[in-house]
Amino acid sequence: MLHLLKIDLKKLTSYRTFWVVCGLYFSTLAFVTASGMEFLKWLASKGAEFGANININRIPLYHFPDVWQNLVFISGMFKIVLAIMVVISVTNEYQYRTIRQNIIDGMSRLEFLQSKMLTNVLLSLMSVAMVFVIALVTGLIYSPQIEIADIFTDLEFFPAYFLEIFAFLSYALMLGILVQRSGLTIILLLLSHMIEAIIKVNIPDAASFLKDFFPMQSITNLIAMPFARYALQEIQDYVAIGAVLIALAWTFLFNYFAYLRLKKSDI
Amino acid sequence: METVLSTDKLTKYFGKLCAVNRLDLEVKRGQVFGMLGPNGSGKTTTLGMLMGVTNPTSGNFSWFGEPATNHTRKKIGAVLEHPIFYPYLSGQKNLELNAMIKGADPRNIAKVLDVVELTQRKDHKYKTYSLGMKQRLAIASALVSDPIILILDEPTNGLDPMGIAEIREIIKRIAADGKTIILASHLLDEVQKVCTHFAILRKGNLVHSGPVDDVGKGEETVEVVAYHDDLSHILHEFNGSLSVKSEGGKFQVRMREGFHSVDLNKFLFEKGIVASHILTQKKSLEKQFLEILQEAPAAK
Repeated sequence: MLHLLKIDLKKLTSYRTFWVVCGLYFSTLAFVTASGMEFLKWLASKGAEFGANININRIPLYHFPDVWQNLVFISGMFKIVLAIMVVISVTNEYQYRTIRQNIIDGMSRLEFLQSKMLTNVLLSLMSVAMVFVIALVTGLIYSPQIEIADIFTDLEFFPAYFLEIFAFLSYALMLGILVQRSGLTIILLLLSHMIEAIIKVNIPDAASFLKDFFPMQSITNLIAMPFARYALQEIQDYVAIGAVLIALAWTFLFNYFAYLRLKKSDI
Repeated sequence: METVLSTDKLTKYFGKLCAVNRLDLEVKRGQVFGMLGPNGSGKTTTLGMLMGVTNPTSGNFSWFGEPATNHTRKKIGAVLEHPIFYPYLSGQKNLELNAMIKGADPRNIAKVLDVVELTQRKDHKYKTYSLGMKQRLAIASALVSDPIILILDEPTNGLDPMGIAEIREIIKRIAADGKTIILASHLLDEVQKVCTHFAILRKGNLVHSGPVDDVGKGEETVEVVAYHDDLSHILHEFNGSLSVKSEGGKFQVRMREGFHSVDLNKFLFEKGIVASHILTQKKSLEKQFLEILQEAPAAK
């Protein structure tokens, strides 16, 4: 297993695009998640211009345990950048035909897929670790009083966040293997949510429960948008087991479809 | 001798097009096996199936007497069509990657780079290499796991005469090490120079296979020049002659099997004619190749 991961990392670590895209991803992630207070300050100054008085200290954006769900939710929006990196990595193999040579050299098709999946796991874990550290540090800075019990509350958002990222990267990998051309794959990836939304609009109300079973929706459902709670609305501040199961099933299917395609095609 | 590769009715269809039709081949240890055929005759498709990148439509093949898995491929060094490498990696790093996949000792890398004379350029990116260097790197990558078998598909394609000679030298050196080599090519001269055995494919059908040494056996052609007005007639009288053709003042006599130039010379001498020029022509592979292709029934 580790051997397969090392092979894929060897391909990537000398590839400048990989460093640029990952650098952009992780720095944007860090910057955005850490600057929530600055954003609130900006919001307050704008509000002041209109005579509204917002006391930003009353919005516990970075307080334990709110900080976990808040940052995890925001971070999830940037996964598209990692997914594009995954697409580039796999479509390059088709463009340079190196997948062919890999197999001639003695990789099985399953091993090839596994090496890419393991990189997806690694990227997802790195993203989880990054968000966790930022949330922990900002939480420690901004929480007025620090209760150990609060810190350990709601940590289930991290496994859910891992699943969110890994599911989406699996989707990107599958799309790359099915389409094989980078430009087209990236466009399809970007349009996925929209295409799915168009289909969902046409579902009759009687069958609206089906909407939660759509692949993109299932990934979105893992972590609910938390900010409405600051407008005194009820939010879903937990990870729904049903959503996890659906997302897990899709993750399995994405990788399985990729495997079927690899197995059946002449490379 | 131990059989290294055998195929059993190996068949590949691309849609309706039959690229390889019920191919039976056998390669034994130590052979340098040439696969000949015009472009599009199914050579690369066959090798692709043997190397696991093309799924056969039907039929079987076995390496070393066992059904093939990805682990058998690790014991084979292969370059199909043109060289394939990561353009943004250096030659050295590309070979390191090949070695990792093959489970080969990374210490071999320096050795094979030396064999193909690329040591000086090893740290340059692959995309900066010339075609000849790319071909040589491909041979290096095939050699990196110290394979028992080497498969080379058109290894001298697109090279200048010096590059061709270099690659040919490398192949001969490797063959001298006792490795089995399968060489696909449409260059007959190349096959005749380096191969011990050969097979000819046409439109996916195997039309001939046998040792290269057999080429030129059987009937031979003798070229004769003698000063005699009625030479053509006399040559026809010789009961060893199959046909007589006159070409630029020289007579080409195709001999029946079992007859040689000695017999013809003797016959002429008995007739009181002294030949001023008599030459046995061995059939070249090229000639035989064209004959075989003409004789073979058209593939359906």
